[in-house]
Amino acid sequence: MTTTRASLEAVRVFSTLPSFAGLDAATLEALARSAVARHFDAGQVIYLEGEPATALFFLESGWVKATRMSPDGREQALLFLKPIEVFGDIAVFAGSSYPGTVVALEEVKAWTIDSLTFLDLVARYPKLALAVIHHLAQRVLYFISLVEDLSLRSVEARLAHTLLKNAEAREGSLVVPRREWTTFDEMATRLGTVRDVLSRALHTLEEEGLLKVERHEILLLDAEGLAKRGNSR
Amino acid sequence: MSEAHPTDGLLRVSVLQALAEDTHTAALALRVGVLNAVVHLGGAAPSQELRHLAETIAGRVVGVRGVANRVEAPGAPSPARTINIPMGEKARGGQ
Repeated sequence: MTTTRASLEAVRVFSTLPSFAGLDAATLEALARSAVARHFDAGQVIYLEGEPATALFFLESGWVKATRMSPDGREQALLFLKPIEVFGDIAVFAGSSYPGTVVALEEVKAWTIDSLTFLDLVARYPKLALAVIHHLAQRVLYFISLVEDLSLRSVEARLAHTLLKNAEAREGSLVVPRREWTTFDEMATRLGTVRDVLSRALHTLEEEGLLKVERHEILLLDAEGLAKRGNSR
Repeated sequence: MSEAHPTDGLLRVSVLQALAEDTHTAALALRVGVLNAVVHLGGAAPSQELRHLAETIAGRVVGVRGVANRVEAPGAPSPARTINIPMGEKARGGQ
């Protein structure tokens, strides 16, 4: 069988996923043969909450956001994903509709595999099944920490915790870059709160000398102090 | 005893049907998801009026608690924005 440039690219994407890194060439090629490249513009819906789960997605480039509507009509961010990642998988394996809405925050390139085809591949390639289990287990651990965050931590503690988790070292300082789409609304959704409460929390931490909010980044001035706030209830 | 509520799957079919029966929204082939009786609309419309009409039609379907409208249209807000929706009085288990 001829190996196309597209399938080589898909193999590269699949093998970059930590959970899929141990897959052999035959499994990766089988995945690549079933994969279709898709492009989404910034802001475009990839799938909607409650739509039938017809495919799963491997994110090659661009950030996406997964959200879910709470029973009282408030949007809660579930995940912000950057490449390389998988999404849509939970619904495919649960045999349910998608549990959240996923939108492209930037221009996105993703590889999609039809649900039934992927389930068939999992049945035929045991190592793929193990890789999928590993990935789903990671996702369960993430959601356990999200539940802990939302139910046990104050907004200030969640904010401090999230900032530290996303910090990058730059010229001797710790910063959290603000991407084009990182508006106060987005940050509030991510923390399970509303814009006003987030503004107050940022202001409080700024007054305490723990951080400084700038136009394109948030400067973390006292990582130790933020860590203490992040672990408080 | 409260009345039985349609499942999300049935609600989705009802919304798709309602959109297909309206001469203005039929050709838009909008995407529809329903979870917990909240309708999520996606796809594209050529105008804000049609975008709004689709939301109205979906919201009228019995059993629908609210509509999150992510339909793209010229001048419409980004589908990626944060949406918080007021829940309708027809809410499941509501008044």
